[in-house]
Amino acid sequence: MINLVVALPAEARPLIAHYRLTDKTTMGAFRLYRRADMSLIISGPGKIASAAATALLAGQNTSGEQAVWLNIGIAGHATHATGVSLLAHRITDHATGKSWYPPRLFDLETASASLITVDVPENNYHQDAAYDMEASGYYAVAGRFSTAELVQCFKVVSDNREQSTATVTAERCAQLLTGKLHEIDQLLGALAALAQDCNSWHAAPAGLERLSSQWHFTVSQQHQLAELARRWKVLMPDQPLWLGELDGKKNAAGVLHCLQQHLDSIAPGLPQAAHVPRV
Amino acid sequence: MFDTLYIEKQIAGHARTQDICARFPNATRVECDRYGEVFNPKSQNFRLQKRRPSLILAHKHHGRVLETPPGYGLGGHRNYYFSHMLNCLYDCRYCFLQGMYRSAHYVLFVNYEDFETDMETLLAQADTEPCWFFSGYDCDSLALEPVSAFMKHFLPFFSKRPLAHIELRTKSTQIRSLLKMEPIPNVVIAFSFTPQEIYRELEHKVPTLERRLQAMLQLQQAGWQLGLRFDPLIYQQGYQAQYRRLFQQLFSQLDSEQLHSVSLGTFRLPRSYFRNIVQLYPDEPLFAGTYSVDNGMISYPQSLEQEMTAFCTRELLQHIPESVLFPCTLAA
Repeated sequence: MINLVVALPAEARPLIAHYRLTDKTTMGAFRLYRRADMSLIISGPGKIASAAATALLAGQNTSGEQAVWLNIGIAGHATHATGVSLLAHRITDHATGKSWYPPRLFDLETASASLITVDVPENNYHQDAAYDMEASGYYAVAGRFSTAELVQCFKVVSDNREQSTATVTAERCAQLLTGKLHEIDQLLGALAALAQDCNSWHAAPAGLERLSSQWHFTVSQQHQLAELARRWKVLMPDQPLWLGELDGKKNAAGVLHCLQQHLDSIAPGLPQAAHVPRV
Repeated sequence: MFDTLYIEKQIAGHARTQDICARFPNATRVECDRYGEVFNPKSQNFRLQKRRPSLILAHKHHGRVLETPPGYGLGGHRNYYFSHMLNCLYDCRYCFLQGMYRSAHYVLFVNYEDFETDMETLLAQADTEPCWFFSGYDCDSLALEPVSAFMKHFLPFFSKRPLAHIELRTKSTQIRSLLKMEPIPNVVIAFSFTPQEIYRELEHKVPTLERRLQAMLQLQQAGWQLGLRFDPLIYQQGYQAQYRRLFQQLFSQLDSEQLHSVSLGTFRLPRSYFRNIVQLYPDEPLFAGTYSVDNGMISYPQSLEQEMTAFCTRELLQHIPESVLFPCTLAA
């Protein structure tokens, strides 16, 4: 799943059109646009609004899988020309001084920069950094739902010491984002590949659902079953999670005992060399 | 080698920081207040980060040189360990670092002089008693030498202090700087090995057994004291033949009479680390087997542990005297 968080409708428009996010809903103060594998929420300006929108979007993901998060928007910068795109390597909340450091695990030409989130528009650009009003709120929340490597912040410089914020119109904003759609595509592709890897490591083996529906497992037993299913998937990757002896089992405890005994009988430690798949 | 360097503000101007930065002119430099801001946040994935770790340059404030757990050592009474670096260039699947740290970035503490001051204090307290300092537990001692110049800096300290012994534990073949120096009698370079079959499955990015053996032979010829570490011993069906082959390969080429020490210990991990590692590598065969939990430690069932230790000890004693064999019986 890919989650996009943007502050302004003008930032959202090119993305909605490009990714064909046709399913539109309103949730409280927020507008949400979706397709099967992607959602976009318009938060409105400010870090609190961004945090709230991010939390709302996170609440929609009930699969438990690691999702990609990308905050896309415009930002000011002291020295960079307008139209330059930047990926944040450090996000600092100006009010609290707290910083986050999104790890970058992919090859892209997009330059990186420090990003400072301010509570009011910044026109002096004191530091050699990008300035926005949302990223710290977004990152603090999104980082609670996905691993940091999948949570990124992409900004396009819209104003600087030469061109003040007064020059940034809705049309200009949409134009800046439209010019970066190819770059955003590449970034999302790289992040989605990482997320896919992460999620594939934790995919349940075939047959787990059958067991879960046939017997009642308490929460504690569900954890035990998940652990046995993990071992099963490694030790017997080609066989669905099922044993003939399970047919006669009256309850979940009997099922767990039977599976445990079977797996323990296979081998301690690293299994036989011939059966070990390459890591 | 590194795309991003995180640099603590406090040591941005340190000469060692400047030298290291100069080696990576194209790397993005990101300033931070404390390395923990980058290294410690909970929501990080060690396995993903291992694909492209960054380097964090930092200052180590406290706890630079620590006592080893009781009973640990190579015959000495005063045993300490220290880590000038956190995390390892290699990617061994059995390694506890995966379960201990949330981030796979490398942290290099550049204030080497402070480590030496702490060692000096401990040596003064020990008076005429020898002290052992162990390096290579939270990192590989040699692997990042071209960047860290760790040995280049520390070994002259030990060459002037005969009562200060150091063990440099490694799987690396970065021995150039050692070969340029005169051997120092109180320095032991200890190489870790597992059989070829285990190496292939579990020791990713590690130099081949042959290359490590070549490095040992060069060092032995040059007069350096060497150690062999078979820790962890990893179980596989037919482990006896695998370990017998490994021992034969090593001892047929190394001069076993010149070996300083040999140690061994079966695979074990603190339970909390094991849980973290399984979360990261649910698909890893090593973690799909049967383990015992005892006193907060995950290990092979006791009977298997004893069998493996007894077998490997027996085999090793065909090549070396008992006086240089140090079985590791610690919980961790």
